[in-house]
Amino acid sequence: MGSTCQDNKALKEKLIKNVKKEVKQIMEEAVTKKFVHEESASITSLCAAVEACVSHGLKRRALGLFKSSSTTALLHKIAKAFQPAANVVQLIAEVENCDPNKRSSSSGGSESASKLGVKPPLQKRNSVATMKYLWIRLALIEKHLAKIVDYIVANSSKYYEKDALVADPDYGTILSSLLVGPCALDYSKLRTAEHFWTDPPADELVQRHRISSGQFPTPASPPAHKRPGLHYKGSTGFSNSDDNMRSKDYVESLHQNSKSTLLYGKNNVVVYMKDGSEPLAGYLSLHQCGEALLLKWTPNQLMNGCTETGVHDKSVYWEHALNVAVHETVYVHCHQGPESDWIALVGQDGVQRPPIHFPRGGHLLAFLSCLENGLLPHGILDPPLWSQRGKGKVFPKLRRKGSSRFHTSTSPLAREESTTEDLVSEKGTTDFVFRIVYPNFTRTYPQGKMLEDMLEYPVWQSSPSTPKSSIPPTTPRSTPLHSVSTTSSTSSSRSLDQQCSVQEPGEPIQVVCQTMKKQIISRAFYGWLAHCRHLRTVRTHLVGLVRSDIVKSENPTDATQGLTEEKWKELQVSGTVDMKEIYRLVYFGGMAHSLRKQLWPIMLSGKLEGEDPEALRREYEDKMSEWLAVEAIVRQRDKETMAQNLAKLSSEGGNSSDPQPSPKVLHTHESNEVFVDAEETLSSEPTEGNRNQKLRSVESTTASPLKQSILSEKRAENGDVVNIKASNSSNSPREKPREVSFQADTPVFFDPSPNKHDDDDDSDVSSGGESPVATRGGVYSNEILESFGLNLHRIDKDVKRCDRNHWYFTESNLDKLRNVMCTYVWEHMEMGYVQGMCDLAAPLLVILDDEAIAYGCFRNLMERMSANFPSGGGAMDAHFANMRSLLQVLDHDLFALIRQNGDYTHFYFCYRWFLLDFKREFSYDDVFLVWETIWAARHIASADYGLFLALALLAYYRDIILANSMDFTDIIKFFNEMAERHDAKAILQIARSLVLQLQTLIENK
Amino acid sequence: MATRKKVLLKVIILGDSGVGKTSLMNQYVNKKFSNQYKATIGADFLTKEVMVDDRIVTMQIWDTAGQERFQSLGVAFYRGADCCVLVFDVSAPNTFKSLDSWRDEFLIQASPRDPENFPFVLVGNKVDLDNRAVPQKRGQQWAQSKNNMPYFETSAKEGINVEQAFQTIAKNALAQETEVDIYNEFPDHITINNDTRNVRSDNCSC
Repeated sequence: MGSTCQDNKALKEKLIKNVKKEVKQIMEEAVTKKFVHEESASITSLCAAVEACVSHGLKRRALGLFKSSSTTALLHKIAKAFQPAANVVQLIAEVENCDPNKRSSSSGGSESASKLGVKPPLQKRNSVATMKYLWIRLALIEKHLAKIVDYIVANSSKYYEKDALVADPDYGTILSSLLVGPCALDYSKLRTAEHFWTDPPADELVQRHRISSGQFPTPASPPAHKRPGLHYKGSTGFSNSDDNMRSKDYVESLHQNSKSTLLYGKNNVVVYMKDGSEPLAGYLSLHQCGEALLLKWTPNQLMNGCTETGVHDKSVYWEHALNVAVHETVYVHCHQGPESDWIALVGQDGVQRPPIHFPRGGHLLAFLSCLENGLLPHGILDPPLWSQRGKGKVFPKLRRKGSSRFHTSTSPLAREESTTEDLVSEKGTTDFVFRIVYPNFTRTYPQGKMLEDMLEYPVWQSSPSTPKSSIPPTTPRSTPLHSVSTTSSTSSSRSLDQQCSVQEPGEPIQVVCQTMKKQIISRAFYGWLAHCRHLRTVRTHLVGLVRSDIVKSENPTDATQGLTEEKWKELQVSGTVDMKEIYRLVYFGGMAHSLRKQLWPIMLSGKLEGEDPEALRREYEDKMSEWLAVEAIVRQRDKETMAQNLAKLSSEGGNSSDPQPSPKVLHTHESNEVFVDAEETLSSEPTEGNRNQKLRSVESTTASPLKQSILSEKRAENGDVVNIKASNSSNSPREKPREVSFQADTPVFFDPSPNKHDDDDDSDVSSGGESPVATRGGVYSNEILESFGLNLHRIDKDVKRCDRNHWYFTESNLDKLRNVMCTYVWEHMEMGYVQGMCDLAAPLLVILDDEAIAYGCFRNLMERMSANFPSGGGAMDAHFANMRSLLQVLDHDLFALIRQNGDYTHFYFCYRWFLLDFKREFSYDDVFLVWETIWAARHIASADYGLFLALALLAYYRDIILANSMDFTDIIKFFNEMAERHDAKAILQIARSLVLQLQTLIENK
Repeated sequence: MATRKKVLLKVIILGDSGVGKTSLMNQYVNKKFSNQYKATIGADFLTKEVMVDDRIVTMQIWDTAGQERFQSLGVAFYRGADCCVLVFDVSAPNTFKSLDSWRDEFLIQASPRDPENFPFVLVGNKVDLDNRAVPQKRGQQWAQSKNNMPYFETSAKEGINVEQAFQTIAKNALAQETEVDIYNEFPDHITINNDTRNVRSDNCSC
């Protein structure tokens, strides 16, 4: 007995020790590698160790289950009472139901769904082991394992023998606390092959683009053309708020995976940048993806980027990262120096990549032999590496001169190489130039060469001042072509003609020259023709979109800093405040946040003095008291119908054999149709008190106190009008609900201020005068009551889900938003509430924090915005049409893509942008900046600045859109996923430059 | 490999504002519920790959704005739909009453090949709430009267019945499928069957 006890103790000790060891292992892995892969072997061993502990002393019989994995059965048992366990059970079920070929993955980037996508290959690979520990693995990855084990320990008496490990007072708690660490880790996953069939998320597209275009960064600068260009180049400076995730994913893509085979990898390979900046060390890898070979070099700063302490911008490193398709590379220049060996790759385009330096010691040779192997079977290195018995691959035995002999005659680059050799290396180093040759394509190759030579030769002949030997090595071979494209077409083609005639040309060369000449001329002609056509479009359609006077950011003062507090003080002191200057400053640089509260009303009203806040407040309160009274009536009616409905419902529920179909039942009281929303009425019950409070608060501030009680009802002279008088009676509408009974089609007469009743008939207090109910104390027809009631429900629904994640919108501030909304809608009953209005009012309220002023601003804002709303005047269609024309003029490639994909010429993907003035596209702080820029732009640059913002968004991502040839759905998805993550400053800058571009274009017509 | 076909099913979710269309979609695709969703403006969609009768299909689930004022946008988004999900809130009878109009509007705007047999699925959402106002029987009766469409009572919040509803949606949509050859570079111009509607090939005449 004693000995078994001892044995048992030793066993438990051993089990726990195993777990400790595995936890230590996995935590170390997490620390050193910065991430743990889901398929890491350490996870499997940890799972095994946990399994051993948990199954120790398990009462199998008690579970009534004799499955192979009884811990899984245990999990199923506790799942009934314990939620995390239930979640894991659900995941298991999903994985098990998964056919190995089936992946469920979502575009929404769901964690669990994409994880499931990884599971099936696990089953295939080592199904027995994995399936056995499946629940533990899943629980670990889902971070539930510690909780579940804790639960098992706490309830061990039910499921375990007395001497089980988990039932042990010490070991049990040790076990669960050991697992807390691993459960806190994030486990990464590889993309499975199946991911390539699903659409990559916007993030990934942006990241891919950043990597592929990183070498040739194009800074976002406003185009300054002599002749306005018709195309803008994608100016893409991406924000990199989540670079860490990206670099993590990217680094993972460097590993061997199912899509690409890793042929070679070497760390601390140094690359010297062209721009002369500090050389960077990084990881060089060679991948085989299908037929293609890819050479990647990633700076170390990105490799261990996940938790790099530096806050500074990583984008500079992304720009340096190399990603070279080997099949586009023609030459590999090798140079063996005393310090290091280096290679330089020269592409088909003649552009040399930054030199890559290997540490001494055979790394260069190893790389080349990997490259040579990777090129097989289609490509070879010329000259090939030599094989030497015992030593493997060696460099071909060719001396320095020999290497240059290979290509001096054919390529200026080889010449260049030979000159640099002479300069740099005299210490018995060995240099080589390898050509990458695809024997299958050799037939086309010499031809290409011939053409190149033909083009180069005459140019250098025709510039005798430059001796052939001193041709600067940086001169690209494309010089002659370049000159053709930049200078006027006729002269250049003539010069080409002359150049060609200088040489003693053979027949074929002459023919080629002729063809080229024709092509160049025709291209120039078509270019000119297209330009003319675009100009015509510009003239006819787009003149009205921008202001003709170009306002400059630097004149009279530099406006790029925007309207700062100092600037504002300065303006006030000097007494030269004029609206134009404010607009100009704001347009080019926004305004200081602290000024917004003061200046937004001014900007929106367009008047320096703004609107009289007192008058506005009075008006607002008057309007509010009107609709509050109507709301009280509506609520009352709601409640009555509710009661009726409930009665009906319960009677109906009791009679289950009732054959009458439900819609009919509801239609019997159709007149009250809109007020039967049970949820609304029920949920409004607790807030009834609030409403009354609100009423009272209004009373206290309003000139004519309103006691919103319904004192009496009486038939008016026409016999069909109910006259409700407000009086000083203390009765609240809630206390006297039954006094008022409404009948269908009964107009209600409501007079909130009996004292003024006499002169009400001819005095119109409201300023708007548009509203059918604008007079204080008026006849509210049933129609108005119903319609306002309907709007109230809609407002309530949207207000409570408006920007809930923003700190400002607490319960009480949401009430303010509701008041603003209701007041506006009450005043504009013909339009009513339309979804999106809340979104437009919310930022105003956040900045102004004052109902009445926010209301005034919102009203001003809506003067422009209401046309965008459905039934508001069809401005949206006009926007889409303008977008079309603008895109055609400003970015023909993108326009061509859109036209090719036919189905989105309607530009509906911009719908939300225009409806909400980009409010949902940018983060809250950026919305402020974007909005004030739009408002200022009306007076500075364009009344339709939104169009240019939309174009700027397209321009910013144009390369991604083009590279992935996105269709309508792709583009909607892309922008919905990128919402609130755009770089507002960069996009505003592009938009401003687009306006300028169009202005110049029009000016030069 | 080269003969592998990928099936894309376009599913449109319709219903009054606030019935939980966005929540349903996100619960199904992302297995998440959030009370932070904003009113949908314009349209959004998520995709999910599912297994239906041993075939992998990609569901493209479109979430639309709920206010009837935005129905005119439908033309742009409804085109080529394979199934339409009508959603109402079991605690709000109004949302149940507008089902007819949503269904009619969809049929007008999407103008499916065979409107009589176009697959609809009815979903009564928010069954987790206590203040239920539309009895199950009514939902069933309505669904029955409309060509016997399937009816599900769900809770996007609790994840009740969501999976089942969408499985049925996928199944019914598949009967109506539009095959797109993913290996073709220009899938938009290929129509597999003569009788299948040519979803995107109609060149915009505007």
